[in-house]
Amino acid sequence: MKKIALIRVDDRLMHGQVVVSWIPYLKVDEVLIIDDEYATDEFMTLLIKSAAPDNIKVHILSCRQALEYLNKDDEGTRILILLRNIEYIKKLLESNVKLNKINLGNLGSNPERKKYYNSVYLSDSELSILREISRQCEIEIKMLPGDEGKALE
Amino acid sequence: MDIKQIILLSVLYYWASSTALSLGVGYYTMYRPVIAGCLTGLVLGEPFTGMMAGAVVNIIYIDFVSTGGSLEGDQCLTAMIAALMAVLFGLSPVEASAAAYPFGFLGILIWKYRLNINSVFVKKYEKKFAEGMNPHIGIYDGLLPQLLLFIMSAAVILVTVFVTLLLRKFIINIKYVLFLAGIFLVFSSTWNILYKLQSKKGYLIFAMSLTTALLVNPSSYIIFLIVSAIILLLSNKKMKLILNSKDYETHGKNGKIRKRDLIYSWFVWMNFSHSCYSYERLQGMAFAHSMRNVFKRLYTGEEEIAGAIHRHSEIFNTEPNMGTPIHGYIISLEESKQKNKIADENTDDIMFIKKGMMGIAAGLGDSYTQVVLTPLFILMSVMLCFDNKFIMALVPVMILASVILIISYTGFMKGYYEGRNSLIERVNIVKNSRIKTYFPYIFSGILGVSLGKLLIIMFSGTSENLTIYITVGIISMVYTIVKIKRRN
Repeated sequence: MKKIALIRVDDRLMHGQVVVSWIPYLKVDEVLIIDDEYATDEFMTLLIKSAAPDNIKVHILSCRQALEYLNKDDEGTRILILLRNIEYIKKLLESNVKLNKINLGNLGSNPERKKYYNSVYLSDSELSILREISRQCEIEIKMLPGDEGKALE
Repeated sequence: MDIKQIILLSVLYYWASSTALSLGVGYYTMYRPVIAGCLTGLVLGEPFTGMMAGAVVNIIYIDFVSTGGSLEGDQCLTAMIAALMAVLFGLSPVEASAAAYPFGFLGILIWKYRLNINSVFVKKYEKKFAEGMNPHIGIYDGLLPQLLLFIMSAAVILVTVFVTLLLRKFIINIKYVLFLAGIFLVFSSTWNILYKLQSKKGYLIFAMSLTTALLVNPSSYIIFLIVSAIILLLSNKKMKLILNSKDYETHGKNGKIRKRDLIYSWFVWMNFSHSCYSYERLQGMAFAHSMRNVFKRLYTGEEEIAGAIHRHSEIFNTEPNMGTPIHGYIISLEESKQKNKIADENTDDIMFIKKGMMGIAAGLGDSYTQVVLTPLFILMSVMLCFDNKFIMALVPVMILASVILIISYTGFMKGYYEGRNSLIERVNIVKNSRIKTYFPYIFSGILGVSLGKLLIIMFSGTSENLTIYITVGIISMVYTIVKIKRRN
């Protein structure tokens, strides 16, 4: 089983805050982006991989591929998981992937979502999934490592 | 102080912190303490006294990076108040910076408040749109949020100036404490940024340049020329590619979009990218705003135009200068969508591309424009100030502003004419940038010289002996290390 430093839910996946703040702060050497859409998009895969810092290994996998990958032997690397779809976290937990902390970054508004806190907008179903998950691991809303976090109630 | 000066200061604070209506470079010029201090000084009749105070505030805020609008304190307001105290109370730059420091946290409240309150304009716009009123995006993205921001900024200036003048006697009485606090702030900011750079060679270069500055005090003018030469040498051909704009034909690919439409769209984007910045949409309203003239060219029906603009008002966020290939590329996609009569329901892929590209450009952009280019040029300006070369100190800031403009303009055009690969090209250029690689060394060098020059000014201004500086230096170093260790 691979070692996961943090799971971050963010619509923007690998973006400024992640590259400039989270990666150096968490001292991760691998970033795993779980996204069914991106995993099959050649242009986006190329773009994300070429934009990543040189010393960081980046994988862009579909949820199914990611489960397989995470169940492989630990090679001593620390992984940051980025995803936009909250349902994937549920799937990870169902497959007994060990998660200690989930970070909610930026979840933008859309017609189904309601404002939860600052830049976190959640739909009813997303909120109920998160509540379920929160029984198993800590969920915290936090933009940047230095910010004060807010726990999901 | 008279009423005219207070009004001018309100306008200055609004204009500098708004980052709107300044072609996107206000954030790199007026917002920076060294320039904000200079302009405040200008209003009060002593531009160089103000600029000097601003320069010290700038050292305190030298590690400032705004990613996604998460800021620590408002450096612009701090600089303005520091300049004000330096001019009106006759405080030294270091004392003024320490006295103004607490006010920075008041400024930051506006920024946080703004992110929430701007949602009001988003909702108003949505409501009008739902009612079929074809709302003008410029009103909700530009006019109303800016008007409100002006009122808030003016209120903040009024309160801070009032409090500052009220505390005049007290501030002058605790001058010595402020002096110590000032050196402490300058030192801890220096240790902090050095630690952040994580470069052993950087420490060495810093120590060497600091010693050299203290012993021989070399002319900052010559150092500025040397550093500029190094930067020019390091800008490899690829970097030049980013700056070179090909002379594209005046007509677009399909004829409908003209080059001046692109220029105007870019112009709107640069002026309003953070105008209605909110937690809900971030720069979404601004993106829609910048597409307004494009859709007016593509469609004729009022409703069609309003609908297309509305489609693009959903959440968007990127680094406003590095990310412009997205705008150009999206315009070209919208142009062919209109030409091939693709229905609105089938625009999911345009939105998917837009969202995918924005995050990448943000990561890439912040780690370059804000983390490398800005500190480099701003610190050179600060160094020149510490040598009393105030007019010369404006030059690095102007170079920075020009580079930012060129990066954003060429990106916009390339995105349109060359498509999405222009973003990948940009990614590779920035990643292989040698300026970025050598940044820690160049920066540590200028930092050492700047600190040395500031210390020389302080030595000559007071009768204090060295022990006090060394003591504060050591205390601040211990404090910074403990703070960093605790954070990790």
